[in-house]
Amino acid sequence: MTAAAPARARPVRPARSLFVPLAVVGFMVVSWWSLSSEFGIGFDLGELIENITRGARILYRDNPINPADRGLLNPNWAFLASTVEPMIETFQMAVIAAVVGCGLALPISFVASRVTAPGRATLFGVRGVLSVVRAIPDILYALVFVAAVGIGPLPGILALVLFNIGVVAKLMSETIDGVDPGPIEAAQASGANRTQTVRWSVLPQVLPHYVAYSLYTFELNIRASTVLGIVGAGGIGRILYREYARFNWSNVSVIIVELFVFVFVIEVVSIWLRRRLV
Amino acid sequence: MIRFENTSVTYPGGVNALRDVTLDLAAGQLVIIVGLSGAGKSTLIRAINGLVPITGGDVVVDGQSVRRANPKQLRQLRSRIGMIFQTFNLVKRTSVLNNVLMGRLHNTSTLRSLVGWYRPDDVEIAMQALERVDIVEKAYVRASNLSGGQQQRVGIARALAQQPKIILADEPVASLDPPTSHVVLRDIQRINRELGITTIVNLHFLDLAKVYGERIIGLRAGELVYDGSAAQADENVFREIYGRSLTADDVLEAAPVI
Repeated sequence: MTAAAPARARPVRPARSLFVPLAVVGFMVVSWWSLSSEFGIGFDLGELIENITRGARILYRDNPINPADRGLLNPNWAFLASTVEPMIETFQMAVIAAVVGCGLALPISFVASRVTAPGRATLFGVRGVLSVVRAIPDILYALVFVAAVGIGPLPGILALVLFNIGVVAKLMSETIDGVDPGPIEAAQASGANRTQTVRWSVLPQVLPHYVAYSLYTFELNIRASTVLGIVGAGGIGRILYREYARFNWSNVSVIIVELFVFVFVIEVVSIWLRRRLV
Repeated sequence: MIRFENTSVTYPGGVNALRDVTLDLAAGQLVIIVGLSGAGKSTLIRAINGLVPITGGDVVVDGQSVRRANPKQLRQLRSRIGMIFQTFNLVKRTSVLNNVLMGRLHNTSTLRSLVGWYRPDDVEIAMQALERVDIVEKAYVRASNLSGGQQQRVGIARALAQQPKIILADEPVASLDPPTSHVVLRDIQRINRELGITTIVNLHFLDLAKVYGERIIGLRAGELVYDGSAAQADENVFREIYGRSLTADDVLEAAPVI
């Protein structure tokens, strides 16, 4: 016997949202506006090809302003010795800033997470302050601190500390938002107070992330030091900017290679550390 | 010991999970609450330790009103009530012992607990709790390396470490296989008998409810529909609680016991 399936109304297909097509059109309009020579920056592919040969001059010798220079592709290894001291200074600045910044960011992140904040007022207050801290670029902090405490590594460290608090507190508070709520309920049900709940239910869950974020900010600090030196906030950036201003491309080249090796080593070490800790 | 006085719980979304329940649970009893999913079993259990907000009537535990308790009184009340969860709710990334020591936080100062400096007496209580559920050899193992049944026994040890007067178990075997379910329920039953801890267990398997319960309470759509001994709870009673005939899905074993 072939009984027909019971007649039951099928659901009506919901109306399609226009959001995605409109967003695509909007994106195209903004791109065109940015590119057009009339309203935007007037990007021109021909200009790029025309001038690429001029850029090639800095790659190897033929420097019209500084005839002694041999170009980016010929690193002047004799210059290496004079970069050691500022490189160590950069390293020390990055370590101090990461330790202080990440240390301060941990307790802040618990107040900035929906899961662990003591109240909505503190949550939004702290989140607002963190947004402001993050919105200000590190170079601006460095400028302000150079004006306040003078030239040297100290203003650089202060700038990096604020930068690190902004980054780590933001990433950590979002990680805390996503923890398994089960252990939190268990701690509350046992009569633990807020601090104890955070310490024993939340912290063990987010600790590996915290280590990873801290190592990442340390790496960011090394990179940021190249820019901070420009405004007089110490480190390798000071030397980099000086050599750049004198068109000593073969000396700049040495610093670039050094930074590359440095960041690469940090990357390898942090991968190894993370694997051991997680 | 525990008195529900016309207790109602309405969640902020407007769901009326518990309607005008009046109940008296005597000290030392092993009470099993049965009902379909969404009947209000979890809400009833969480009204006892104030994990859900009571919106009508009150629950009085050991002379303390749950609804009128201030945060400190609520923490003190909760410290005397151990809780066991369906999904165990262990911190998987840390050791079994650290999980069980969570049951001693109520007796540890905030400063001590921040650095994990538990008193030797508290560590001893935690070890004894692990011994009682026969899993002490796993004390320094990471909780994530344990099987489901072992994790639930750690959950029971954590509740025991509080040295509670009451234990609440919210579907303690719903995530476990049938043989392990019996092991865990026997542990709970033994603890109830040996230590005289008042025990309230949510179950949705009827055969288990009849085997392990002294007293069975039936909930249907947030209302109390049955309250009596396990012996009296026959198929008609369960039909009343479930609002339909029983099926093989309502029992743990393939062949229904009842």
